[in-house]
Amino acid sequence: MAQLMVGAFYNPHLGPQLAVASGIDHLAMADPPRGDDPWWPRIRERYTLLLHDYLGQLSEPLDERSIARARSLAELYRTPWVAEHFQCLHTEDGTYSLNYVFPPLYTEEFLARFIANANALQARLDQPLVMENIPGFFDVKASRIPEAVWLRRFFDRTNAGFLLDLPHIWLEAHYHGVDPQTFLADFPLDRVVELHVAGVEPDRDLEGPWIAPNEPSAAMLDFLGYAVSRCPGAKAVTFDAFSPTLTVDVLVRSVERIRAAL
Amino acid sequence: MSDRAIQDTLIRALADAPFRSTPAWRDQGLADPVRVERFARFLARHFYYERLVHFFKYSRALSRITGRTPEAVLTDPGFDSLFGVLVLGSRASAVSVARLSVDHVRGGTRAPIPYLDELTTYEEAMMVVESGARVWSDGDDTQAIQHQWSVPIRAEGTMLLDFTYDLPSVLPLLLKPWTEVPQPPREPTRLLIARSPHGRVSVARTSTAVATLLELADGRKSLDDLAREAGLRPAELQATVEGLVDIGAVRFAHGS
Repeated sequence: MAQLMVGAFYNPHLGPQLAVASGIDHLAMADPPRGDDPWWPRIRERYTLLLHDYLGQLSEPLDERSIARARSLAELYRTPWVAEHFQCLHTEDGTYSLNYVFPPLYTEEFLARFIANANALQARLDQPLVMENIPGFFDVKASRIPEAVWLRRFFDRTNAGFLLDLPHIWLEAHYHGVDPQTFLADFPLDRVVELHVAGVEPDRDLEGPWIAPNEPSAAMLDFLGYAVSRCPGAKAVTFDAFSPTLTVDVLVRSVERIRAAL
Repeated sequence: MSDRAIQDTLIRALADAPFRSTPAWRDQGLADPVRVERFARFLARHFYYERLVHFFKYSRALSRITGRTPEAVLTDPGFDSLFGVLVLGSRASAVSVARLSVDHVRGGTRAPIPYLDELTTYEEAMMVVESGARVWSDGDDTQAIQHQWSVPIRAEGTMLLDFTYDLPSVLPLLLKPWTEVPQPPREPTRLLIARSPHGRVSVARTSTAVATLLELADGRKSLDDLAREAGLRPAELQATVEGLVDIGAVRFAHGS
């Protein structure tokens, strides 16, 4: 396995510290830089940047405006790959949106949609496309194909890489009462390009754990070590925290602990 | 029903609390209703957290003076009491949640911030204007063609606000490091806040002529009528209307 890059998300409120930080190989970009961000030029010069913005949901074809935006951001960041999510979070007519990642139904119809639209997007990009798994908090009866099988079939029919979000896997395993390593085994780990790792904490609404801008637990880091050993093509691990409440100490310490766990 | 239509029903159920209590949703039995309700509440808190942090960022920057962070209301009983009526993204819900934050911030220490009421009115307006259904994908762009044969109408949600302080001059200063609370000049300022169909919110200082034009643009008056009544020359009117269309303050309706 090649040397893994270890990085985090660019949180603009931490710009002053990130502009001089050491031990961080890359920064993922969830939003375009603000025009008045004084740290952006130094961040761009200093880091490998990964495009991880919302480009559009691939249950529908991306329109020209979205493709032009994706290309423009990819060029600005000089990103080695472009990330999107297996998500379908707004209705087709635009009336309702969840404004949060939400998985599609795992069915033949959605598989065909995602394959066609991912291939169309990939054809318009100059960089490889990677796709991130999204957790479901509840099962939907109309979702008929196991997620891992659906994802494998997607990757078999596209040239896309897999952005494996480990906390998402961990949460799904938790809510299904399954061991995370067992749950992970069915996913197409041979297609993984990048991994995400993050902290989780109890959520009052869910009455259970969910992603939080905290340090990953020791158990999560053990899970990371296990997963990485099964992802021969992995190139990067990213601490997945993007929040105005994130502190620089948590970010830097998380990256250090991730590196130590590999 | 297609799988895409089922997905839309699922998204609506998570976004629209009243819909979750209807037979149209419940009878489908698509998912465990307890889990759906929990996740819907989680999404609602997340949805409005993002908006309050974004639109009330100036009040947030002043929280070390006021002692009140705008997003703190999301863990208050007042927000929980809205769970049964919230429709994520709707104007009514944006109004309700923004009002919770406005009242909360205004209840804090105000002495060194004489413009706090106006600032929170501005932030509330930004959040409310941003709400509503949006265009996520461009179809064929026919609007440009229709301009020639249609009449302008003020877009729903577009706001004109009058302030006694020049708020735009102080906003960027609030987001930079400061020791003494930045103060705007006391100067009457009229702002136009509008949203494009894609959801981009714009703010612009505006003149009396533009304000008049917006008040007159009721979808019945032609461009010539508007030019005459707003006192604008045709070329001036065209440039103004194009600018207003661009930021979403005006759209074109079919004329008779």
